[in-house]
Amino acid sequence: MSFDPRLPRDDVNVSKTHPLAEAWWLVVGAAAAGLVLTVVALALSDAAVRWLPPSLEARLFGGLVEAGAAEPPDHARAAAARDVLARLSSHWPENPYELQLSVLDSDTPNAFALPGGSVVVTRGLLDQAESENELAFVLGHEIGHFAGRHHLQAIGRALALSLTLSAVFGSVGADAVPRLTSDLASKGYARRQERAADRFGLGLVEREYGHVAGADRFFARLPDAKARFGDRAVAWFVTHPVTEQRIAALHRFAQERGWRESGPLTPLAPLDPRAPAAVP
Amino acid sequence: MDPWVEIGLQLGVPLLVLLATYGIGSAVERRHFRLLRMREIRSRSMPVATILEVPPGWEVTGSALVTGSCVVSLDYFKRFVAGLRLLFGGRLASYETLLDRARREALLRMKERAHEAGYRAIIGVRLETSQIAPNGRRDGRTAGVEVLASGTALRLGR
Amino acid sequence: MLLSTTETVPGKTIREFYGVVTGSTVRAKHIGKDIMAGLKNIVGGELKGYTELLQEARQEALERMVAQAQSVGANAVVNVRFSTSNITQGAAELFAYGTAVRVE
Repeated sequence: MSFDPRLPRDDVNVSKTHPLAEAWWLVVGAAAAGLVLTVVALALSDAAVRWLPPSLEARLFGGLVEAGAAEPPDHARAAAARDVLARLSSHWPENPYELQLSVLDSDTPNAFALPGGSVVVTRGLLDQAESENELAFVLGHEIGHFAGRHHLQAIGRALALSLTLSAVFGSVGADAVPRLTSDLASKGYARRQERAADRFGLGLVEREYGHVAGADRFFARLPDAKARFGDRAVAWFVTHPVTEQRIAALHRFAQERGWRESGPLTPLAPLDPRAPAAVP
Repeated sequence: MDPWVEIGLQLGVPLLVLLATYGIGSAVERRHFRLLRMREIRSRSMPVATILEVPPGWEVTGSALVTGSCVVSLDYFKRFVAGLRLLFGGRLASYETLLDRARREALLRMKERAHEAGYRAIIGVRLETSQIAPNGRRDGRTAGVEVLASGTALRLGR
Repeated sequence: MLLSTTETVPGKTIREFYGVVTGSTVRAKHIGKDIMAGLKNIVGGELKGYTELLQEARQEALERMVAQAQSVGANAVVNVRFSTSNITQGAAELFAYGTAVRVE
């Protein structure tokens, strides 16, 4: 038994794949997996929202409503607004919610739909409304959010997005990516929700009054999005579609459906009981 | 800060670091492999085997336990690739070159040390790999791997 | 290529030996297998996914060792040893080594 000094091949214990090629395919694969995961998570969250009964929703989020809307001294038009809300929701027979209206003490005209069936309108909105039709469209829009269960979808989607995106990008340490992309995605999604709620609300107004005149007047009172945010590229960052686009979309929708766009406006109760009703 | 700038910074800076560490890491690795081969050729005449018994005909005048070890660590680029690879499974090429380098280095150190001490052969060689400092990083990824080579060095009479 | 874990290949004599040959591979398990194994861990028993993974990887380590032995002209590897070590969380090295010899 003798020794023969021979060197074995030195390249068998290392793989021959090029490190950059391997890295590239891994990144592509991870991105694809992240995309699929995100889509699945969004679909799951939407499905879960559809199956969550409104009664459970009210129980889960009831506290939110009470905390969110402290009732200011009763507004002269609050009763009228409640009445309009009740009449509008009668045109949505499958409504599973017990809708409630509360007034938020704020000068900025605005309205919100809170999970559980609570509609919050600001004092500014009630003060500035020129006709019942205008107010009805805003309330109809909020009912539209309930019909689409947008508030829950938004919560579920935000949760799903942040979970999947941070699972993918968190490992790389780029935490701005999940934060900002989920921001962008949820804002784009919110704009679609706003459009859907607009259409639903307009439908309710049409069924109640027989025409949709005055519905778009509310937008004139919104802080001008275009003035605040500049050109259309930036409109992506704004939750609500730019006002002009939204008004145009409303008119197009009314035309498609063949709804009358002119008709008598219903006056609202005067703010000061002695003054005559404000008729535009 | 503009969101796109923030995204660009958060993805661009690591990308630059990745490419830089890839360049440096692979240059270091190529150099190490070249040196390893050179030293292997230089020390090839010394028998190293896992056999436990002294080959018949050898006149052994002394023996000693010898060891050689090497701790190596991944560069940033390889750690990144390995991190992604753990999602998909499969061959971790970046660790293979690392371990190959460490193992050959450990064997060479053992041989060179034995040779310096006057020994001319090593039998009963054992190789062992262990993870060092498993909690060196917050995600539990290793900070380094140690390879230990050990054997019995023989002093041969003629 | 004859492989053995003993000093010699039984029934043969070693004529020449060439030194240590090694074969190794590092494998990572993927997340899917991890999840299945996590479930299996609750009830215990064999983790089939891992058994297969390690078996396949060990086979490759052995083949690489044999490739080294062939490159020095050996026809057997004796005193073969295996070792499995945890390299990082989720990855293991499968390693085989032995002494390349020519037997008759």
